[in-house]
Amino acid sequence: MNVNAVSDVFRRVLENPEVSADSDFFVMGGDSLLATRVLSAIARASGVELDFDDFLDAPTPSALAKKIASQA
Amino acid sequence: MSVVVVGAGLAGLTAAAGLAARGVEVTVFEARERVGGRTHGIEVAPGAWVDAGAAYLGDRHTALTALLAELDLKTTPTTMTGASRFALGGDDGRTRAGRFPPLSAVALGELFDALDELDRGVRAEAPWLSADAARLDRLTAAEWAREHLRHPDARLFFPLFLGEMMAADPADVSVLHLAFYLRSGGGIRYLNAFAGGAQENRIDGGAHQVCRRLAAGLGDRVRLGEPVRAIHQDGDGVTVVAATGSVRARAAVVAVPPTLADTIDHRPGLPVPRSGARTAPGCAVKVHLVYPAPAWREQGLSGWSVNARGPLLSTVDDSPADGGVGVLTGFVTGREAHRYAALPAAEQREQAFAQAARLFPGLPEPIGCHVTDWVHEDYSRGCYAALFGPGDWSRLGPRLAVPHQRVHWAGTETSTEFFGLMEGAIRSGHRVAAEINAMYRWRDIHD
Repeated sequence: MNVNAVSDVFRRVLENPEVSADSDFFVMGGDSLLATRVLSAIARASGVELDFDDFLDAPTPSALAKKIASQA
Repeated sequence: MSVVVVGAGLAGLTAAAGLAARGVEVTVFEARERVGGRTHGIEVAPGAWVDAGAAYLGDRHTALTALLAELDLKTTPTTMTGASRFALGGDDGRTRAGRFPPLSAVALGELFDALDELDRGVRAEAPWLSADAARLDRLTAAEWAREHLRHPDARLFFPLFLGEMMAADPADVSVLHLAFYLRSGGGIRYLNAFAGGAQENRIDGGAHQVCRRLAAGLGDRVRLGEPVRAIHQDGDGVTVVAATGSVRARAAVVAVPPTLADTIDHRPGLPVPRSGARTAPGCAVKVHLVYPAPAWREQGLSGWSVNARGPLLSTVDDSPADGGVGVLTGFVTGREAHRYAALPAAEQREQAFAQAARLFPGLPEPIGCHVTDWVHEDYSRGCYAALFGPGDWSRLGPRLAVPHQRVHWAGTETSTEFFGLMEGAIRSGHRVAAEINAMYRWRDIHD
């Protein structure tokens, strides 16, 4: 899953088109409930199951895409 | 022009105040010896009040926010700092930063995705007209969960989520009602959130003050201890029969929950009842444990916990803002509420004390304990709100807010916006006052 695909997931879940590669999910209004929906979308698309702490560590599309690549 | 209002909760009193402000002669009949309905305050220490019933609001609750400003009431944030406790396995509890339970995030994400999809499929203003409404209205949320939730963590969390959000056991509500409830309240994220959501604030000093102040403005027009037994209509008006006498008026507003509205003898009879055999009471028992101080904070804990086993399925720090006593509020909801409500008082206290001590080790014995059982409240029949079971929306929905000749309906269950919340009750009160004003004023001018 590349950074654009992760950005698209952020946009859909946050219902906000203004997401860039360096947008912090939690700064943009994401909370733990919405975070789980990002993680389930990633699992469906890439087969990689990240947990909530992984997301806190890598809260932007670019960081999250790297994390997915490292675990794929 | 005269109107009788039945029920002195938020809906009834908002309606009565709105009508009185337009010069209507109102009489409010309230069955209890207090106003407030499903808002109720308990003074846990001198000057320190907690909410035994409805408590929270968020910034989308604009009618309530405006009413608070009018009544000169303030809000206080429900800010949570510190770690949470989770007892979701067989253990006594795990400590974790934030509010997120130690369950599979991917599994919970699938659950929330599925709920979001339900939310998006429903027509909030007329759920019975939604695509696939007939099927969704037949299916219970429990049946839906068995079909859609595969991961054990999602299956474990779903009833806890539903209990906390709408005081429902999944077997009690139709999928259509669940979908509607989500949409009506602003979606799963808004309904679930404290900060930035429907639980952002409490009312400083207690939510019960709203009705008290509305009633104070109405003075002796509010008559307590007057359960209404019958409403008889004829061509000119209504006769509302209460405990100590009857009152004649142009119209009536019934602002009580649906199952209670059905206990009134309506003549002529209602074309469709207000509730059905599957309409269940909202299953909530609220437990307030009072401590000399919120000692959990010294251990870095927020007081928030989520627990797979009862009685307290979740706890939250509801300590008054003045820095005195510590109050831990426990929510006993869904099926567990029925079990717990049936216990003797001493056993209820013992179970609540023991669970709080396991969750928050080192807490002293509580100095107070208040158990509020809404399931068996004769004049509420459940809380947060009535639960619409299979078939209810198809049968009852189209007439929920449609007047029965001169009898008009209010109450949070008649509001398709913020159903089940204080906000919904207040919006229904405004709606019914405007409805009556428009209908009868016009006739007064032209008769």
